[in-house]
Amino acid sequence: MNDEARLESLAKRLGASAAERLDVAATARNVVARLREQPLRRTIWAQQNWLRIAAAVLIVVGGAAVASRLPRGSRFGAAGERSAAHGAHFVADDLNDLSTDQLRDVLATFDELVSSDTVAVPEGSTDLRELDARQLRAVLRSLEG
Amino acid sequence: MAHPQLRTETSSDAALIRAWQAGDEQAAAELVERHARPLARFLAGAGAPDADVDDLVQETFIRAFRGVDRFRGQCQFRTWLLTIGGNVLKDFGRRAARRKVMPLDEGVRDVTGDPHEHAEASEVEALLAAGLKELPRLQREVFLLRAQQGLEYEEIAAALATTPGAARVHYHHAVKRLKEIVK
Repeated sequence: MNDEARLESLAKRLGASAAERLDVAATARNVVARLREQPLRRTIWAQQNWLRIAAAVLIVVGGAAVASRLPRGSRFGAAGERSAAHGAHFVADDLNDLSTDQLRDVLATFDELVSSDTVAVPEGSTDLRELDARQLRAVLRSLEG
Repeated sequence: MAHPQLRTETSSDAALIRAWQAGDEQAAAELVERHARPLARFLAGAGAPDADVDDLVQETFIRAFRGVDRFRGQCQFRTWLLTIGGNVLKDFGRRAARRKVMPLDEGVRDVTGDPHEHAEASEVEALLAAGLKELPRLQREVFLLRAQQGLEYEEIAAALATTPGAARVHYHHAVKRLKEIVK
């Protein structure tokens, strides 16, 4: 058997034990149950809008954090503040142009920010998508410092 | 929910997809039963930890069913499903890296199951699994689609939105690197 045929033979065995252990009938039941629990249209709408909201929050909070660190009367002065505000506004306007993957990347950054020690995530929550509006507001308030 | 229609075991994937789109949940279940094991093999071969294979298989099917309107028969349903599995695994790796638990490239393997079976796993097979993780994602997926799943280059190219020639080049680069690792 040549090297390439040997590799192909080995590749065919890769993952075989994991596949054997899979309970296919249970997997099928779980998939159908999840599809039933989370209808398509609502999920897509909720996911995309949540991503947009998260991205907008990140930009606003990030901008505020940067602005709060600038000393008053610094060399940037009022013109600098206007420029920063304009920049944030410009970026926020472009949110609608971001793809789902790009928005997901922004959310990933936001997720890291929220998972840091400085932010009070409501007890028992492990995922931002689980938060309701009240809990989300609590997170945002803690981000404001 | 639509009532399941009479089907035979030879119902095509396309017929099952149409039935699912019409609201037949049993059609979705049948598609899962038909393709779950090959998908699990692909995911495990591409580096999914054994303990997470079931979750990743479920997530792949969920994404596939929700995006099934984008499947236009450009390749087989299974091939399309495997490429979605590749994306699901990539996202899983990112999340694992962020949470600093069990990143894919550490090659963490589930040690549950039959110890005898683990003992029998050949060293060469382990080398191949480790080598696959070192490959660029496209090379790894093309190699698995070709060598593990037995697909033709035309089919692989259609699924990965590339050309058969490019798929062939990726495969040969993968084989060359894996030969060096495994020899």
